[in-house]
Amino acid sequence: MAHPLAGHFSVDHSARLMRNYRYAVERTLRALGGWIALTPELSAKLLMGRHVWDLAQLADAFGARLPELRAHAQVSEPANERVVAFMDAVEEPEAPGQTVERLVGVYRVLKPHLLASYHDHLIRANPVYEPPTRRLLLRCLGDERRHIAAGTTILGHLCATPALAERALAWQRRLEGLFAAAGGVTGEGLPPAPVDTAQAPIETSDDAREFVRLEKPLASWPMPEDLRAALEAFGGSLAVPNVGALARWLAPGVSLDPAREVLTAAALTSHRLVAFARLGHQRLVKWRLAGPDAAVTVLARWAPGPDGWRVAMLDVGRIEALRPALPRR
Amino acid sequence: MERPIAYDKLAREDRWVRMRAREVAELKIAQGFPPFADLSSPDSIRERVHGILVGEIQAMEGAGRTVCDFPDAPWEFTMDMARQVWDESRHVEIYLRLLEHLGGYPGEFPETTILWRCACAEDAAARVAGVNRGLEGLACDVFNQLVHIARKIGDPILERAVEFVLADEITHVRMGSKWLTKLTEGDPDRRRKAIDFQENIDERFNLGGVRRDGDHEAVSISIATDVRRMAGFTEEEIERLVKTTQRSQVY
Repeated sequence: MAHPLAGHFSVDHSARLMRNYRYAVERTLRALGGWIALTPELSAKLLMGRHVWDLAQLADAFGARLPELRAHAQVSEPANERVVAFMDAVEEPEAPGQTVERLVGVYRVLKPHLLASYHDHLIRANPVYEPPTRRLLLRCLGDERRHIAAGTTILGHLCATPALAERALAWQRRLEGLFAAAGGVTGEGLPPAPVDTAQAPIETSDDAREFVRLEKPLASWPMPEDLRAALEAFGGSLAVPNVGALARWLAPGVSLDPAREVLTAAALTSHRLVAFARLGHQRLVKWRLAGPDAAVTVLARWAPGPDGWRVAMLDVGRIEALRPALPRR
Repeated sequence: MERPIAYDKLAREDRWVRMRAREVAELKIAQGFPPFADLSSPDSIRERVHGILVGEIQAMEGAGRTVCDFPDAPWEFTMDMARQVWDESRHVEIYLRLLEHLGGYPGEFPETTILWRCACAEDAAARVAGVNRGLEGLACDVFNQLVHIARKIGDPILERAVEFVLADEITHVRMGSKWLTKLTEGDPDRRRKAIDFQENIDERFNLGGVRRDGDHEAVSISIATDVRRMAGFTEEEIERLVKTTQRSQVY
């Protein structure tokens, strides 16, 4: 049996680990903060918004522990250049369509590893003379478990198709390879995951299931029946496109010409009403038209008049290529 | 990461319709509606709450960008901004639930990005002056009035929730005042530019006379002088704001 005062870490080593953790946590909180604006999905925005502050407090606690270990306060330090390259890769997916990659990097790769590293450090830190470090690591473990559970819920919600799930897995594998090459956040290798991860309680104030519920769109928008009929007819004619049928709905002075070129340029096979907003007595209606390789957004402002609802403004967006490429590397 | 990002990078789900504030106002006026939702009917209260929800989303995004865009700012600055991200994310959740409570839905009214544009200043001092003092000051006015209206119409859900949000906003204004001073210490030119930026925002958000000093029920947005004092605005600043509302142009 080891002596109660036997220790694994020197003071300097312990300080270096604090700086290594702080580097990963600080970069993550800045990335999450920056991504909120770049991420379309409300559930993912709320997830990131909640965790930025948790991570800032952890980074602050690591930074505050440093002077107690004969080091400068609030300093971050990567274990090696490959850790920097790994964090660069985690930060890389910035396009609106890459929310899954953003979340995978943080919640499936980095955080499970941090959880394992904190746990590994905790069980090796001496209980007699390292309680300040141990208490800090216990707090980190609690936060990381909660974050991983919430991130897993949101990822489960966002990876709605096998293709997305496959994309997520491919990106996860790529980042795991980079992280393994770096030797993890400390450069000392990848410790095994602790066994009790699944039993962690989830605080209700941070309940990702509620974020998903709040994100869910209405089953049906409230609208007058005559407008509903008009929108069904107009939407059906958009994807075909049936120019004559569309023209019937235009108010005097509104031209179909700018839209005609876009609608006929791409093979669009489906249409979906995606937004319905009020503007006084008028309504703003957005459709998403999609084909195998491209999609386009159509926005129309509908106004009531003596002849019923008519399109008072029509705007067709740019043709977007579907299937965004994976981030580089 | 790209730092800072362009205005048009703000990402949204398809359910949102984005329009310029001026266009929304013009189209509403043309139909005989006030340009900015007053609080005279359940519909207009819901529209106001929807507008606040959009503002809270943009405030969360703006504070998040500030955490990201200024890695060389003092660590305590990052801490305050990270705290603000958390607060704003809770505010988004609160207003999503309030919208549900009022029978509305996200995307029910068009989104304007006028607040987000203010959150894109390249200098950290200008950003906290504009966002934390200009926009959060506006939030104090709007929320204080909403609490009053909720009390009057007997909606304790709305009243209590917004009162807590208002308490957070007062804290954010204080943070703004603190960091405007600290970040511009010894640099009067930077301070002047930041304050000019805030004053420009104040002027824009007077909304052509919509925000005014007056009774909650008599004006569309009443300036919350007591709350502003509590948040640390000086008498001189409050007086200046009241004066500018008497000469503002529409948008």
